[in-house]
Amino acid sequence: MPEDRDWEAYKVPPTRTPVSESTSSVPNPITFIQTAFNYVIDAPVTFVREWIERQQAKNKFYYYHQKFRRVPDLSECLEGDYLCFFEAEAQWRRDRMVDQEIVDIVRDRLGACKQREGPNQFQNCAKEVEQLAQVTKAYQDRYGDLGYHGNARTCLMKQKHRMMEERKAQANASE
Amino acid sequence: MAAMSLLLRAAAAWGARRAASGAAGGARLPWLTGTARLPGTGAPVRHSSSHGKRMFIIKATSFYDTRFLNLLRFYIFLTGIPVALFITYVNIFIGEAELAEIPEGYTPEYWEYYKHPISRWIARYLLDPPEKNYEKEMALLDIEAKKTELRLTELEARRLMRHRGDGPWYHYETPDKNLIDNSMKSTPDN
Repeated sequence: MPEDRDWEAYKVPPTRTPVSESTSSVPNPITFIQTAFNYVIDAPVTFVREWIERQQAKNKFYYYHQKFRRVPDLSECLEGDYLCFFEAEAQWRRDRMVDQEIVDIVRDRLGACKQREGPNQFQNCAKEVEQLAQVTKAYQDRYGDLGYHGNARTCLMKQKHRMMEERKAQANASE
Repeated sequence: MAAMSLLLRAAAAWGARRAASGAAGGARLPWLTGTARLPGTGAPVRHSSSHGKRMFIIKATSFYDTRFLNLLRFYIFLTGIPVALFITYVNIFIGEAELAEIPEGYTPEYWEYYKHPISRWIARYLLDPPEKNYEKEMALLDIEAKKTELRLTELEARRLMRHRGDGPWYHYETPDKNLIDNSMKSTPDN
């Protein structure tokens, strides 16, 4: 079954609507609708769900997130050492997946901030906007135009070109 | 009553003839015919009692279509329903794993990194551990790397031996010098 999103991650502060004292003698129809919903839909569904969870709680088991050891990078591999290339490539792909998830999380944070703030989003979400801009720029710099067949080697070459550009810019700026 | 049924029969026959001629005659707007829409052409058949006109509906056969759909449903549900029941049983009574931090000093088995119990079972009993797969790939790469290296050194050795001529290869059999007949070279005037 697909997971629910993590409700605790972007917790909205409780609303501060005041409790209103109704002055009319006509009862609020919303309460009838709420009780009807409660008895017809909410209670059976909750009962079934809790029964299922009781069955599942009899034998609990866990899953973990795998921690991979760091291996020498592609820049630390000798020429012709294909095993080192293979391991560095695998590590680079894992790191790229991690970076993609990081960008997704920062985007989700901005979305949650916008949803939370509503009309105040343009003032109050400036930090998240700035963070997303930085993270996407960093991702674009590192993995940006490598294309579908990008691998650790092309990424290393891109890094080399970036460093050369930087050095050239520094040399030009210091003249 | 009899006249009424005769009238109805005549009207139905007229309608059937019109519908038949309309189907054969060409394009005619269906709502202009005015009669009830029959699925295909109908021809009136005798033995119609007073509760309605018995019509022999002439339409294209749906025997093959219904047979195909029945067989399709049968063979899909033959294994589909047991599989669906099994998956429902697993999801309700066994349930998915919960995420937990790796305890100190404990290395989880390789199937304990999956959430769904069926994925865990497949990873445990059907597939190889990812470490073994990794090592298999690295072994293949190693063998291929060694083959490449050997082939390159062989080519280099061959090139050098051909060039320098001092190695065991590139020896060509020449005839024995004792077989040369020097008699025609021994006198200057031949």
